Amino acid sequence: MTASADLVLPRSNAKASVDWTTIAARSRLRRRTEAVGAYAFLIAVSLPIVLPYFWLVTVAFSAKLGIAETKVLWRSMAVLVPAIIAFWLVGALSAHRRRMLVGFAVITVLAGMVFAVLVGPDLYLGNFIFLVEPNFESAVLSRGGQVTATTQYPSVWHAFANSLILAGSQTAIVVTVASLAGYYLSRFQFPGRVATLRSLLVLHAFPVLTLIVPLFLMLYWIGLLDTLFGVILVLVAFELPFAIFIMKGFFDGVPWDIEMSALTDGASRRQAFLRVVLPQVKNGIIAIAVFSFIRGWEEYIFVFTFLIRNTNWTMSLYMYFVRDDMMGVDYGVVSAVGVFYLVPSLLLYAVAQKYLSQITLGGVKG
Amino acid sequence: MARIEFRNLCKRFGEATVIPGMDLEIDDGEFVALLGPSGCGKSTSLLILAGIYMPSGGELLFDGHVVNEVEAKDRNVGIVFQSYALYPQMTVRENIMFPLRFKRTPADEARERTNSIADLVQIGELLDRRPSELSGGQQQRVALARALVKEPQLLLLDEPLSNLDASLRLSMRTEIKSLQKKLGITTILVTHDQVEATTMADRIICMRAGRIEQIGAPNDLYHRPSSLFVAGFIGSPPINLVVGRAENGQFAAGSVALPVEGAAGDVTVGLRPEHLSFGKSGLPGRIAQLEPMGREVLYVVDTGIGYVRVLEQGSSAAHASSEEVRIAFAAEDSLVFDSGGKLLECARIRPPS
Repeated sequence: MTASADLVLPRSNAKASVDWTTIAARSRLRRRTEAVGAYAFLIAVSLPIVLPYFWLVTVAFSAKLGIAETKVLWRSMAVLVPAIIAFWLVGALSAHRRRMLVGFAVITVLAGMVFAVLVGPDLYLGNFIFLVEPNFESAVLSRGGQVTATTQYPSVWHAFANSLILAGSQTAIVVTVASLAGYYLSRFQFPGRVATLRSLLVLHAFPVLTLIVPLFLMLYWIGLLDTLFGVILVLVAFELPFAIFIMKGFFDGVPWDIEMSALTDGASRRQAFLRVVLPQVKNGIIAIAVFSFIRGWEEYIFVFTFLIRNTNWTMSLYMYFVRDDMMGVDYGVVSAVGVFYLVPSLLLYAVAQKYLSQITLGGVKG
Repeated sequence: MARIEFRNLCKRFGEATVIPGMDLEIDDGEFVALLGPSGCGKSTSLLILAGIYMPSGGELLFDGHVVNEVEAKDRNVGIVFQSYALYPQMTVRENIMFPLRFKRTPADEARERTNSIADLVQIGELLDRRPSELSGGQQQRVALARALVKEPQLLLLDEPLSNLDASLRLSMRTEIKSLQKKLGITTILVTHDQVEATTMADRIICMRAGRIEQIGAPNDLYHRPSSLFVAGFIGSPPINLVVGRAENGQFAAGSVALPVEGAAGDVTVGLRPEHLSFGKSGLPGRIAQLEPMGREVLYVVDTGIGYVRVLEQGSSAAHASSEEVRIAFAAEDSLVFDSGGKLLECARIRPPS
């Protein structure tokens, strides 16, 4: 009995001396340090990703003589880097969401004003001459003293339209085929179903470039060489396996009950698919549509190989030839074309990003 | 409204036979429960009735016409799934109107019918919400409204209450039953919950491994179960089953022998806890555990034939743990099954005198 009483006594003393305030302060400090550390790391790794885009835009809007002016780059950096650090500090240290938003707004306004003062006078839209002047090459080259233009450029809007057609039709075909195929693979039993599912993934694993010569010959024999439609078919073939796989996963997530319910409610199989099942895989459709479109928009190797006439140029080819002719001569125009090329992808992602983050990949189920 | 008939109906999935051959008749306007453990083929039967599955053999008849090959959309069957299966992208109103679209019901009439059916199941004020904004009980009502709005000739309920909480389950049970009586629609309820089946249905079809074990009114299944399986499945708390041997008018099990009549050989004796009581004479034992259940107390008694559950009326326990007791019962409440698990109609067992 005495032994247990001895054990109890010191414990009750210790209990009395606990200082909750110190413990709370310590854990508050630890939480803050961790937050600051995490933000610092994230900013450090994202700088190399953010900076090139920033420079691209800066050069495109400022290079008057075709040369990236270091002065402007440094000045804009001098605005951007403190602004990012300020954002980070506000994000890490502000306790309330409202205070954080107010802080962000203040920084944005301040940075905008400093930017206008430091960089504003150097802004220059002349690099976007290619948007209005098909024969811009001579105009640009004459800025550097040269006069001979070597490449016959089509209008950039023509290339833009070609890219839209290419990416758009490829997306339309991929979405239609992948939805139907994914539904069939998800819902129906047929011989070779599992093998099909496995081979879909294997198909995706092959490096597509290895097939470039056979594909060239194939398109030549079919007569689709140097046509947009030929490239569209090739891109669709390479995009489909993955898109089908993603759609199959989305269809797997739609309960059977709902489909059965639609059938007993008087819908045919096709009506049940269109009215009940398809609306529920909307996110999947948006996801594969965006991925396919971006893939078609940025496509370079196949268009470079299979398209020859300059009326068939897509934006990537346009970009390539501009770079080929002007690099070392006029960085401003190259950057401006880059910015112009970038805008649609950016818009698309901005609109669709909330759907893209919901993609989950299902496993291969038998 | 329809009369349903199964004639030697069977269903196979590849190698597996789910229903080997089923004969069944359900009358017009009847409320029938398909009762059985999971995997016994009751949901498969339901989907065959709905036209989702095609039978592999035999015939399914609606009002005397073979409907084996009639598609689900043409059967005019309403179904309520356990998951409710509401269409998440549509409002409640659109959900309920969905079946009417395929019937080409004029818009005015469709709206009217939707409103009146919504009032009937008391969801009139929820029509513009989405299913995700509703509670489980409300979703259940929407599913019921959607199944009823097309005035089906047959209503199928697949475990409709198992996702609801206990008190809601009780009130929905009453509501569905009175709705069925009011509308007079032939209704088939699939459930693994014997209480649901006995409280709601006019007739229970007890199934086991794709076969019908017994068909009868809830009382028949309780008082005269045709087999050990039905006896064990129906009743709560479950029946006491004692395996032993009947010889020379004595049933011997464990260290005890009880007088028996009408049985010989290996038998199983069934005694329902609610038919047992404590008395001055009877099977001796010692109370091992008490489980107060509110209105009743369940005693687990350690006897010479093993643990026996005894259900006694009264909210407070009249007996204490480890008390010595004697268990009495009436001979006509006892059930005796042969070694194959079939009920021996005339066999009775008596408590020791």
